[in-house]
Amino acid sequence: MILPDINFFDFELYPTSKGIVTLGDLIKFVLILSFSVLLSKVLTIYLRRSLKDRVSKDVGEPVLKLLYYGSFIVVFISILPLIGFDPSGFLLAGGVAGIVIGFASQNIVGNLVAGCFLMFERPIKIGDQVEINGTAGYVTDIRIISTLIRTYDGLLVRLPNQQVFTTNITNIVGHPVRRFEYTIRIRYSDDASAAIWLIKDLIDKEPFALLSPAPSVFVNELGESSVNITARIWAPVNEWFGLKTRLLWNIKKTLEENGIEIPFPQRVLHINTNSEKPPQVIEELKENKFEENECVLNFEERVLN
Amino acid sequence: MYGYYDPPFSVEQEGISISVKKTGDGWVYKRTLGKDEVEKLILGDGKRIIINPVEPLNTPKEITPNLLIEFEKTLLLAGGEKKRIFLTFPVEIGVFISENGNKSPQVLDVLSLVRQKFTLYGEVSNGVVCKHWKSRLYSFSPLLNPLQEGVMELTLRNTSSDWASISKAVFSAYGMKLYYDGDVFMKARMDILNRNTAETGFEMQPINGEMKGYLVKDQKIRKEAFGVYSLRKLGFVPLKFYMEWGF
Repeated sequence: MILPDINFFDFELYPTSKGIVTLGDLIKFVLILSFSVLLSKVLTIYLRRSLKDRVSKDVGEPVLKLLYYGSFIVVFISILPLIGFDPSGFLLAGGVAGIVIGFASQNIVGNLVAGCFLMFERPIKIGDQVEINGTAGYVTDIRIISTLIRTYDGLLVRLPNQQVFTTNITNIVGHPVRRFEYTIRIRYSDDASAAIWLIKDLIDKEPFALLSPAPSVFVNELGESSVNITARIWAPVNEWFGLKTRLLWNIKKTLEENGIEIPFPQRVLHINTNSEKPPQVIEELKENKFEENECVLNFEERVLN
Repeated sequence: MYGYYDPPFSVEQEGISISVKKTGDGWVYKRTLGKDEVEKLILGDGKRIIINPVEPLNTPKEITPNLLIEFEKTLLLAGGEKKRIFLTFPVEIGVFISENGNKSPQVLDVLSLVRQKFTLYGEVSNGVVCKHWKSRLYSFSPLLNPLQEGVMELTLRNTSSDWASISKAVFSAYGMKLYYDGDVFMKARMDILNRNTAETGFEMQPINGEMKGYLVKDQKIRKEAFGVYSLRKLGFVPLKFYMEWGF
């Protein structure tokens, strides 16, 4: 039996204006594209490793993404003639196709454009602590379509870039320092000046409580049951929480060691023990006489005999 | 305390206790300072321990590479003038481990005996956090405890035509070069560029050849200290500090 001399690579698929596209052309196209993707990935991994200690992640990642997708697009366009497509034709077809694709994928394109703006404007960076639309945590990645947040509970939240870009963003580490404050309540019988001195001394001993902007400790309010002292402290943005939790307990312990106590809510009752005086009779409410009754109802400090 | 040690050894000074003792196949590095205690296991023989002063920016936590030295008294410098003053700076004690003859040792431990405090230089929105130190101004090199303080020879140069009122200077740790031998020494400069801006940096190595790594100052040869920052292989990190929020 004589087998016909068939070359599968010459198998004709479809004719184009530049000739006939064969199976070999298609395989070549797929192989070149796969190889370029592989090469881009290897190059990206290599660059990521070598730039790790030299460039911060928030700068390095967008550059690597640009390099990866950029090289992919360049290779893709340059090998299109292999499968019979003229890239210049895209310029003409692109207008019509763009409208069609735009309508079909409004959200995706919107997210893509928002992603580009996020990378350009940089309101947030990878590693920042942010609060976006009620989601608080660390930015782990800014992709072209979405932004990934790792919440403080360790959950992964994916936010579409359009949502990130159009909503209010609170960047917790946007500035190098931040302020926090305490309200410390002491008894009226305690020396507020001594308490302020003790609190200032504790703040001074904390390395991360900044000297400038200077901390302020002052009597802020004369409350119902206590004298309220406010302490406002500035700290480096990555250290403030640890300092806040540590310092408050130290303040409580130090004040107590020095006889200054944090009072419970209280009300002073004056008990009249003078038995010579006849007991006062609390007036009964009089019917239909509101004005006379009012002073009885509003009399807060009752005298008991 | 500063110097080269071959294990096993034990050294104690000013409440600091450092020892390296043999245990089984390896060595145990132990350091105590008050309640603070560090213990590390070293595998391998033929290692050398180096104790020398390092940049004062590693403890209690490395959060900034910048040191702000606040002058106890404001200094006024006439336009075009160049003057040399002496300041003090905080010293941290670095413990390194190296192969014999290896020029790139590994940091083992860093400790400090001085008060630690940080401050902000510049605005809240875009300033820089700095380690803070307050120094007296000297016209001569003062005698200090080398485990706590070092001497900085600062050359002030007012390149503007106006008087400059100087109350602080900020330095980047990446350019710091410390020398030690009995005292701890650093040589820096500060160029006043205009009313609000200045540039600070450290002097380049003055000696080449065999004496490289040593600094001759006042007929005294000091040894160059290994620094925590200088050992890092970094890319483009500025060695100078540009003071744009006043001085």
